[in-house]
Amino acid sequence: MKKLLIATALAVFAACGGDFAADREINIISREEGSGTRGAFVEMLGIEVTDADGTRDLTAPQAEIANGTNMVITAVSGNQHAISYISLGTLNNDVRTVNIDGVAATTENVLNGSYPLFRTFELAVQDDLSAAAAEFIDFILSAEGQNIAAERGYITVYPNPPSYTASGESGTVVVVGSTSVAPLMERLIEAFQAVNANITVQMQISGSSAGITAAINGTADIGMTSRPLRETEAEQVNSVHIANDGLVVIVNNDNPLENLTQDEVRRIFIGEIDRWGHFLE
Amino acid sequence: MRNFQYFREMAMSRIFLGSAMCSVVAILLIMMFLFVGCLPAISEIGAANFLFGENWTPMNTPPSFGILPMILGSVYITVGAIVIGVPIGIFTAVYLAHLCPPNMYALLKPVVNLLAGIPSVVYGFFGMRLIVPIVRDISQILTGGGTGASILAASLLLGIMILPTVISISESAIRAVPVEYYEGSLALGASQTRSLFFVVVPAAKSGIMASVILGIGRAVGETMAVVMVAGNQAVIPTSLFRGARTLTSNIVLEMGYAAELHREALIATAVVLFAFILLVNIVFTRLVRRRERREK
Repeated sequence: MKKLLIATALAVFAACGGDFAADREINIISREEGSGTRGAFVEMLGIEVTDADGTRDLTAPQAEIANGTNMVITAVSGNQHAISYISLGTLNNDVRTVNIDGVAATTENVLNGSYPLFRTFELAVQDDLSAAAAEFIDFILSAEGQNIAAERGYITVYPNPPSYTASGESGTVVVVGSTSVAPLMERLIEAFQAVNANITVQMQISGSSAGITAAINGTADIGMTSRPLRETEAEQVNSVHIANDGLVVIVNNDNPLENLTQDEVRRIFIGEIDRWGHFLE
Repeated sequence: MRNFQYFREMAMSRIFLGSAMCSVVAILLIMMFLFVGCLPAISEIGAANFLFGENWTPMNTPPSFGILPMILGSVYITVGAIVIGVPIGIFTAVYLAHLCPPNMYALLKPVVNLLAGIPSVVYGFFGMRLIVPIVRDISQILTGGGTGASILAASLLLGIMILPTVISISESAIRAVPVEYYEGSLALGASQTRSLFFVVVPAAKSGIMASVILGIGRAVGETMAVVMVAGNQAVIPTSLFRGARTLTSNIVLEMGYAAELHREALIATAVVLFAFILLVNIVFTRLVRRRERREK
């Protein structure tokens, strides 16, 4: 009881001080199972391993789970010793990023290829694409569509896209797939409907794999995916690259850490390095 | 004219009947949805593997769907909330019913009611910003680690959240005890505190139990506030300072992304939760019925 009282007093005292205590445990904050951001992150950094027994996500079991980017940012901004990851497009001033392999996480560095952590947003489509769906894809790849992606903080991959003109096609387009691509797609659909009311675009959000499957079996015109097509999938559908999305490792604003290598990030997230003192004096 | 009136009365009574049936239909539909939805998952995973499996790794291949960590998480956090909330709640109820001066009552009663009206996401935010950092510092000093989002933080928050339920039902139970009990005890020479805790409170026992049961129901079912402060790790919790995932948070965390077997496993989680709540309600109804019988 006395110990608890002393601890409480110390805790209140510690909460007042602003200095970063490097001897503390690293508080890992992860996204939930099934999240596209988590899937891309663990795959890129080798936190997910595949062997004879199947595929396993090795994220440390003590990692706190936050569902959604906003929850991650709130948790990291309120916890000096936290580390987590979000999409570059959703970064704000409440948290700071760590350089990966010495490269700052900026849109320019993703564009010039020096920043290693990014994923591709692709659309899976059949060869015999309907004229309406083809027109919607033309819009996405046009200057108007790519501007929307750039405004939302995603990285566009085509240098000089043509501008869009409506061709007079009409019909309905069904888009199915990734939750990560969905916020961008929502904006694209909004803008498209404003310039072309003849074509109706419907979106269903399920997941990358479900989206690709829907495109393969024809229940959707377009499948959205935040991971590249697997070999077996690429035999059955084509992919259209629409944008890139950088992933950033974030820490609290009080955390002085500047740089981590990819392997250090991996070892933190699987629980091998569990003290900030490993990096900071 | 008479006929018209008769017809009107009939029509109105049908409308009332229809309104009354809405809740029955709703509960039947929910049960149907849950039980039909969970059958494929239960048959594929196996009831024992599902209920007593210790690993929840839906995205691995092969996936593993064991909800024992979530069942234990719900139980631990609820027990913690009861340990923290019930004594405070009962003491408050005793104070409100017997010891409180009228001007104090005029302040306390509305405050307690207001506590009941605060949305749970506001509680969650309060917990995330205030309770979690304090628990984190305590836990880092005592155990050398921990994020603060833990069983302790969730129990503290839920302990506060069940207060209005415990207080208002306990208070009315205590007020229902005939004043002669209290006065008789005082007349026999017992002190005020002794009379309250050894005569009045025992006489109101079943009503107070009912308030605790309803508090448990509220704690088990709470989702948003718990998701924000409990850490949500799907592992069997080993310490008060470690995080835990409840049945409710398991559903709300992963529902947005789940497909196929994963989604069905979440529906099956909802069935387990439903069974918990059903149990709580049956116990509650029993207790209330027993009290009513005795009062007759």
